[in-house]
Amino acid sequence: MAFGVAFGAAIGSYAAGGATTSASVAADQLARFARVFVKVNDSYVDKPDDDKLAEAAINGMLSSLDPHSTYLDAKALADFQTTMKGEEFGGLGLEVMQEGGLIRVVSPIDDTPAARAGMMPGDVITRIDDTPVQGLTLKQAVDKMRGPAQTTVRLSVTRGADKEAKQFTIVREIIKVLPVRSRVESGDIGYIRITQFNQQTFDGLQKAMAKFREAPGEDKLKGYVLDLRNNPGGLLSEAVEVVNAFVDHGEIVSTRGRAPGQAQEYVARAGADLSEGKPLVVLINGGSASASEIVSGALQDLKRATLIGTRSFGKGSVQTVLPLGENGALKLTTARYYTPSGRSIQAKGIEPDIKVSENIPDDLKGKVDSRGEASLAGHLKNGDDEKGGSEAYVPPNPADDPQLIAAVNLLHGVTPTASAREDGGKRDAASPQRSDAPFSSSTAPAR
Amino acid sequence: MIRKVSYLALGIAIGALGAGAVAQSFSALADGAYAAAADTYRQLNLFGDVFEKIRSDYVEKPDESKLIEAAINGMLSSLDPHSSYMDAKAYHEMQVQTKGEFGGLGIEVTQEDGLVKVVSPIDDTPAAKAGILSGDIIAAIDDEPTQGLTLDQAVDKMRGAINSTVRLKILRGPAKEVKEFKIVRDVIKVQSVRSRVEGDDIGYIRITQFTEQTADGLRSAMEKLRADAPGDKLKGYILDLRNNPGGLLDQSIDVANAFLDKGEIVSTRGRNPDDAQRFNARPGGDLSGGKPMVVLINGGSASASEIVAGALQDHKRATLIGTRSFGKGSVQTIMPLGQDGALRLTTARYYTPSGRSIQAKGIEPDVEILEDVPADLKGKDDAKGEASLKGHLKNGDEDTSGSQAYVPPDPKDDKQLIAAVDLLHGVKRADAASAKTGEPAPVAPPSSDSSNVAPAAGKPDATAPN
Repeated sequence: MAFGVAFGAAIGSYAAGGATTSASVAADQLARFARVFVKVNDSYVDKPDDDKLAEAAINGMLSSLDPHSTYLDAKALADFQTTMKGEEFGGLGLEVMQEGGLIRVVSPIDDTPAARAGMMPGDVITRIDDTPVQGLTLKQAVDKMRGPAQTTVRLSVTRGADKEAKQFTIVREIIKVLPVRSRVESGDIGYIRITQFNQQTFDGLQKAMAKFREAPGEDKLKGYVLDLRNNPGGLLSEAVEVVNAFVDHGEIVSTRGRAPGQAQEYVARAGADLSEGKPLVVLINGGSASASEIVSGALQDLKRATLIGTRSFGKGSVQTVLPLGENGALKLTTARYYTPSGRSIQAKGIEPDIKVSENIPDDLKGKVDSRGEASLAGHLKNGDDEKGGSEAYVPPNPADDPQLIAAVNLLHGVTPTASAREDGGKRDAASPQRSDAPFSSSTAPAR
Repeated sequence: MIRKVSYLALGIAIGALGAGAVAQSFSALADGAYAAAADTYRQLNLFGDVFEKIRSDYVEKPDESKLIEAAINGMLSSLDPHSSYMDAKAYHEMQVQTKGEFGGLGIEVTQEDGLVKVVSPIDDTPAAKAGILSGDIIAAIDDEPTQGLTLDQAVDKMRGAINSTVRLKILRGPAKEVKEFKIVRDVIKVQSVRSRVEGDDIGYIRITQFTEQTADGLRSAMEKLRADAPGDKLKGYILDLRNNPGGLLDQSIDVANAFLDKGEIVSTRGRNPDDAQRFNARPGGDLSGGKPMVVLINGGSASASEIVAGALQDHKRATLIGTRSFGKGSVQTIMPLGQDGALRLTTARYYTPSGRSIQAKGIEPDVEILEDVPADLKGKDDAKGEASLKGHLKNGDEDTSGSQAYVPPDPKDDKQLIAAVDLLHGVKRADAASAKTGEPAPVAPPSSDSSNVAPAAGKPDATAPN
C-alpha cells in the first residue's frame, strides 16, 4: 500500500518486532497522522510547504512533552553546537527559552550587549524589531536576535508580574563566551565566576586555579568562592569535571532514564582535586540552573562547600541530542539527574545552606525573580512539594553584593548574619536504586 | 488519484472557537485509498523517526494518542489563524454552539500574545450587562491566570452551569487598568436578529452573528416591520452588521437573498479549479420590495458579514456606512476524523459578485463615518483586522492599520446610525421630487468604487475574532 511505503523505517520495525499491543497502537497513531497530513496537503486552500508542515507537527509534538524537548533543524543544530563549543557568533548575549509562545530570558551573559543594556533574567521578549514573537519557534526568534556585529536590533520586553513594558535597542557584537572569570577577593580569597558550562569551562577553571597558586600563592590563599549565580547550565561532562576539581572521591551525580538499564553514575576520580582541601563557598540564586545545580548539589551533599544565596531554578532533567541525519536533531529529555544523596531537584531547586538576599534596587523590585522550573507549563512533575524559583539578581558592583560579602566573611571565619538555614539542615534521604549499566547515548548536555 | 468530495453548506464555527463562514464537508475518502505523493514520503518518514525516538527514549512513557494530537494541532496552527484541530470534546462543543445554546457569560474571545482578549460581548448577556467591553483583556478566571492556557481551556473555564458564578480579572486599555467582575452564568441563547422601527419609518435590523436561526429570524423581523409600518410608511431598511464576527455561509447567502432578487451573491474558489462554487440569489427571495437600504459595518464586521455587505455593495443594492470591515475572506471546511474529532481547515477564498477577494483588505464603506469614542475607551476599541493576524492568507497589498469597532450603547449617540437614517430620509425627499420621472432617486455618491479599493489609514489597536 502506498502509505505503508511512506513509513519505511518506523512501520517496518513494528512489523519485524511482532505485533505487540503497543506497537500496533503506535502504528495506528502514525496512520492517523499520515491521514491528516495527506488531507491537509490535498485540501488546503494553497499548496502547503511540506517541510514546514512536518516541522510544525514535530514542534507541536515536542512542546506537548516538556519545555526542554525541542527539534533542531540542520541550522539550529549547527548553532547549538557552536554554543556548546564556546565558539563565537554575532548576537546579543542572552540565554533564552520559550514559554507560553513568548521568549523568556534565562539570563544575560556577563559582559555582553544585552547585559550592558540592562536586560534581566525573567524578562519576556514580546517583539523583535517589529515582529511579534508569538507564533515564532524558539529557533526563529534566536535567528532574529542574532546577526552581524554592529547591526542593531530592538527588543520589546515585559518585566515582572505586572508586565512593565520596556524597549531595548541593542547593537550586536561578536559574542565570545568566556565561561570562566576570576580574581582575588580581599587579598586572600580565590573568586571564580562560571557563566555557563561549555567545552571551555573546565579548562578555564584549571587556568584560574593555577593563577591563584601564583597570586596570592598557596599559603596566602584562604579559600575559594565559586559563583554560579545566573548560570543557566550546559554540558553535563563539564559540570562533573568542575566538581572533581574540588573533591577526590565520592559520587558526583547520577542519571536515570526510563528503562532501568539506562541509569548512569558519575564518580570523582582520585588525583583530580586541585583545591588542596581549602574551604569553598558556592553562590547560587534563582538563575542557577541545571549543570549549575549538579555542581552545587554535589558539593553540598558531599559537604565540600557551603552554599550561600537563594534557592536555585530547579531544572533537574538531562537532554540528549539524537541526530536525525540530514534533518538536524532531536534534543529530547531522556533522564532525570540525582545528587549524591539521591535527591531529584526537578521543580524544587537547591536550597542554600545560608540564605542571603541581594539588595534589589527600587526600579527592579519584584521584577528580577526567576519563577523557576516549577512555573513552566508542562514541566516534568516531582511530587506535591514543588517550589518556584527565587530572585536572580547580581549587582554590578561587588561592594554592593551581600551574597559575595557573606561568602568572603564566612571564609574569613565570620558567620554571616543573614536569615537562618532554610531547612534546618534536613535533606531528602531517598535511597537510590543504581545500576552500573552504561547509558547508551552520545552527548548529554544539561541546559 | 481518485477523490470524491462533496460540500454541504452546513456547520458552524463561531464564537469562542472561531468566527467565519464555514461549510461542512463530508469527505468520501476511504482509509488508505489515496497515495502519498513522492515528496511527502520524506516528511512522513522524518515524522515517524521523531515519533519513534520519543517513544523509545523519552524520560517518561508518552501517551501516543496525545502526541499525535499535539502534532496535528501544531501542523494546523502553522497554516493560518483559522485552521485548527478540534479533539472530540472541542468538536462536540462546536456542534453545541451551532445550535446556539450553552451555559456561559456571553463573550466572543480570542487569544493575543498568550492572553485572552474580548472580541465583543454578545447583546443582552450576563457579560454585556456586567459591562465587559470589546478589547478587554481577561487576565484571570476565578484567580487562575490565563497566561499559558489555550483558548479552549480558557473558554471551558468561563462556561459552566447556569446560575453558577465566575470571577474575571480584566485589564482595560493601554494603561491596563485592573477591573474585577463577578458574573452569574446564564443560558446563552444567541438571539442573532433584533429589530425595531427607527425614526417612525425606517426598518432597523441588527444581526449579531449568522446562526442556524438567522435567516428565519430576519424573515420574521421583516414581517413585523412591514406590520408596524405598513405599505408606503416603511421607507427603507438599515441592516446593522457592526461587530458581527460571522458564522454560517448558507445563512449569509439567505440574508443577502432577502434583499436581492437575482444575481450572484458570492463565489468560492479552492485549490482545485473544479471546486469553485457560485451562489446566486433565488428569484422570489427578495422580501424588501426594492426599498432603499443602508448596511452598517465596522472593524468588527467579519466573514459572513462581509459576504452580505460585499454582495449588496457590488449590486449597488445598499449604501454601506461605517468603517472598513475586518477582512476575513476565507472559508473553512469542517472535516470529521471519525472518533478523533475534526479538522477545521481553510479550503477556499470567497469572492464578492464583482470578483473581489476582501481577504486581509476588508470592505470599504461607501460613506465613512466614525463614532465618537468616549474618553475612557479611546484607543481601546479599534480592531486590527485579519491583516494583523500572524500567518494569515496573503492578498497583495494589505493594510495592517486598524479600523474602529465601537458601537455606542445609546442610539442617540450613534453617528453611524443617525447618518443611515438621514440618508434614507434624504432619499425619501429626493424620491418625492423625482417621482414624476420614474427614475430611482440618486443616493449619496459613494466615496469609493466597489472594486479593489486602497484602504484608508487608521490606528491599529485591539482585537480580532478568531
